[in-house]
Amino acid sequence: MSLTQAQLYDKTNPELRQICTNMGITGMGKARKDDIVSAIISEQRKMKRREANAKKKAAKAAPKTVSKSIAASTDKDTVRAMQGSFTSVLQAPNARRGDKNTTTLRVSAGASSGEFPVVGKTVGAVSEFLREVLNVDALAQGIVNGQPVQPSYVLKEGDTLEYIKSAGSKG
Amino acid sequence: MKQLNINVIGLGGIGSELCEKVAKFFNFQKDYHIRMTLIDGDSYELRNQERQMFSGIDNKAVVKHGDLMAQYENIELSFCTTYVTPENIHELLHDGDIVLLAVDNHKTRMVVSKFCSGLDNVVLISGGNELLDGNVQIYVRKEGNDQTPRLTDYHPEIAVPQDKLPTEMSCEELAEAEPQLYFVNLGVATLMCWALYNVIIQDSVHYSEVYFDMPSMKADSKVRKVPVRKTEINEADGSRLHQEAHQL
Repeated sequence: MSLTQAQLYDKTNPELRQICTNMGITGMGKARKDDIVSAIISEQRKMKRREANAKKKAAKAAPKTVSKSIAASTDKDTVRAMQGSFTSVLQAPNARRGDKNTTTLRVSAGASSGEFPVVGKTVGAVSEFLREVLNVDALAQGIVNGQPVQPSYVLKEGDTLEYIKSAGSKG
Repeated sequence: MKQLNINVIGLGGIGSELCEKVAKFFNFQKDYHIRMTLIDGDSYELRNQERQMFSGIDNKAVVKHGDLMAQYENIELSFCTTYVTPENIHELLHDGDIVLLAVDNHKTRMVVSKFCSGLDNVVLISGGNELLDGNVQIYVRKEGNDQTPRLTDYHPEIAVPQDKLPTEMSCEELAEAEPQLYFVNLGVATLMCWALYNVIIQDSVHYSEVYFDMPSMKADSKVRKVPVRKTEINEADGSRLHQEAHQL
């Protein structure tokens, strides 16, 4: 349950620090009350957004195919930062169509990165997939080969996909 | 001897560390003559002690000027006790300058980026952070051509900032401070030093942005294209008019 700013200020610093610990907020050991309260409120907002997104997903009917389910969620995804490049390798020339190539995707979300399999997914589909995998919670517009694209854009071999993470605002 | 004019804008959590490290480094580089200008309209307060480096309570530029003067005799130091605004920026920054931007708002980043994009030669290194992560952007412009994207090119939050300049804020707004960590500020300052070293000493302009994340102990640098822009000629005087033809 979320606590209001007033409720938080009614608590002692040790109680607030315990809340921070429970919420996974670090670095508050010697922080002032104002800062601790701000951090908790900020984290509560993030949790609310995550919960809202999870509810939306749960409300959707069971998809008939994986690709359809992924493509359905595009506009409200919340990945904030990713950058990737796609490489396709012809590994099975005699295989049936669709199974000849193996496509891998290097994706980074801000400072995080990883290799992921991608086969002709839309930008929105990839963002949804990576939002889950990378546990990031805000989505910028996808940029393919340096050009902004719609979430429905289907990635081709050789494309480079990037979602930009917002710049740090403080200093 | 090569002369560099280095402007450090913002002397808070990032800038107060950054100017120290840059001054220390160049103080012992015999091939360089450094003019460093410290710019900030804000003042240090006792509550800043946990994550900002300063020796007195006064205007930040004044205090850091005194601190650096006492330590680094080979650096030619000056200071400016104002915030950067669209009205005064042309008096503060000049062609050929190196700008180390360590401010706490996107609007100042937008103002500085826009001004620098009108200079022929400039190196602009900008850092910022949130509570546990941060990033550094590197904008290099040579002979009137962008070598890397501008701060605003891939960052709509900077191109169309939702925040205010410090000069536009009320006292209450200025007093509001979201929590920050010293080690994160220090991480940004260190990456800005790396960027400065790469661009100035190594003459290497490759990466345009780097992100780091403290909890996961990761950092990742990005190579991004300079967007295509329209350049129009001003019929009145023949000067170039830069237009954001491809604003991402």
